[in-house]
Amino acid sequence: MKEVNLLYFPPELFYTKTHEWAKDGETITIGITDYAQNLLGDIVYVELPEVGSTLTRGEELGTVESVKAVSEIYAPVSGEVVQINEALADNPALVNQKCYTDGWFLKVKAADSEELKTLLDKAAYFTTLTGE
Amino acid sequence: MALHMEPADTERTQLKTPLYQWHLDHNGTMAEFGSYLLPLWYTNGAKAEHLAVLSTAGLFDTSHMSFIILQGPASFDLLQNFFSRDLSKWGKNKDTPLPVGRAVYGVFLNSEGCLLDDAIVFRVAQNTYFICVNAGKGPLITNHLRSQQGQYTLTDLSGALCKIDLQGPHSAKILATILDDPKAIFSAFPFFSCKGTLAPHFTTEIAVATRSGVPLLLSRSGYTGEFGFELFTEADQGQVLWEEIFAAGQSFGLMPCGLAARDSLRTGAGLPLAGHDIGSWPFVNNPWLFSLPQDSSTGKFSKDFVGAQALLRPEASFTYPFAGYDLRKIDRDLATVYNLTGEKLGRVLTCVTDMAIGRVDGRLVSINSPGLPEGFAPRGLCCGFLLTSSKLSYGERVIVQDERRKFEVEIVETIRPDCSAVLPLNQFIRV
Repeated sequence: MKEVNLLYFPPELFYTKTHEWAKDGETITIGITDYAQNLLGDIVYVELPEVGSTLTRGEELGTVESVKAVSEIYAPVSGEVVQINEALADNPALVNQKCYTDGWFLKVKAADSEELKTLLDKAAYFTTLTGE
Repeated sequence: MALHMEPADTERTQLKTPLYQWHLDHNGTMAEFGSYLLPLWYTNGAKAEHLAVLSTAGLFDTSHMSFIILQGPASFDLLQNFFSRDLSKWGKNKDTPLPVGRAVYGVFLNSEGCLLDDAIVFRVAQNTYFICVNAGKGPLITNHLRSQQGQYTLTDLSGALCKIDLQGPHSAKILATILDDPKAIFSAFPFFSCKGTLAPHFTTEIAVATRSGVPLLLSRSGYTGEFGFELFTEADQGQVLWEEIFAAGQSFGLMPCGLAARDSLRTGAGLPLAGHDIGSWPFVNNPWLFSLPQDSSTGKFSKDFVGAQALLRPEASFTYPFAGYDLRKIDRDLATVYNLTGEKLGRVLTCVTDMAIGRVDGRLVSINSPGLPEGFAPRGLCCGFLLTSSKLSYGERVIVQDERRKFEVEIVETIRPDCSAVLPLNQFIRV
């Protein structure tokens, strides 16, 4: 795989140690990071919750199936699912190709608008990957 | 997310093949397998690599395998006593000894009839056999063979060779561009035959070398179920040979392939992984009984060999291939098999996704099957092998379940239909 310093982590996003990203906005958009998609390899299936379901921070919200493994995705924030990325059903490879844009997973109406700020910023997430 | 897979820790003392640096230079995602650091996949990804082997060609580094040379007048008797195939009864009519230049797949068992390892045995000269076994198994098999005395020598060449698998329909065309005198090499070159040299150990009747001068042993075999070749050369020649094939393959759509594609291809082809699908339980009631010296006229074994007596005992373990109805997998380490009424039947041995297969009106087809509907583009199906304590029938459905998922799969005789490995060479290149 690529070296960690060749991976891309947009500065405006928030991150978890478990490799999810969250983007602030009217709703919070959630996906997995370049590190995660790179390590998993070809993503062949994404299992997402239904619109209207409730997420609790740190709990499993779905799974990503790659050629090699089935991995759980954890909720970076608590809230209600308002939209899921329907395009992933037919084209899960979008997560490999554009993990921060077309490969997003779902949008959440946050239960607590301050919760997002407690996640890692780019620099802190990068440190968890390099251990430096 | 929980990644369940960590990147290979390259600082530990893991073994490296002669092509290790090439894999790193080409962005291989590395993982440990059989103590070796090998690529799981490269930048094209495992799906593209798997499909390339069915539609163009794929290149695999399999130098982690172990290699043994058995030489001397007692070699034949030694193999007859330990190897599961009857080397005195080869061919369609099973009436001639294994000829020089031919190979067979079989197993080495312990006295309890359980697997030590599977192997391909090549007869490369009158009293010389080249034996290819799994990574790290060289010492196990040589020690096992040495328990019988006789006039023979065993040489463990593990780590001293580079093995390269070139698999897929364009394999012969790619080789034709780099081999010296391909016409002579490709004439009369059926499945499971070999030509060439592994100097200084042996030379078959025909020398094989690249135009640039790399000598090699070329075998029409592989572990993907598709048409192709295995190439063996000295470790220090490996990188030159690999680079030559890789360069020649560019105009044929050749892709370097990793372990993930090798695993999904071999499973779809119905081939076992030693330690997973065949292992520490008796080698009975499985899809690979062609490895045993069955005499169809008497229903008995045509020879006695180590482990044979144990195989005659009644044993309630059955191994079957299965194929699912969509591409989702279950975790083989945690998966249980149930019948449709919820009764536990056994466990899952392998579960992967073969990305080249799908179903048409319920029937399994591959992208290479004839008469496919227009625009047929399968997403793949989960498939593998399962071990049960009761007998099942082809076409029967069972449930596989792990902590997370539960779905029905079908017990099948063949997972990926229309595999090309056994097709005549002249279907792929004019010779």
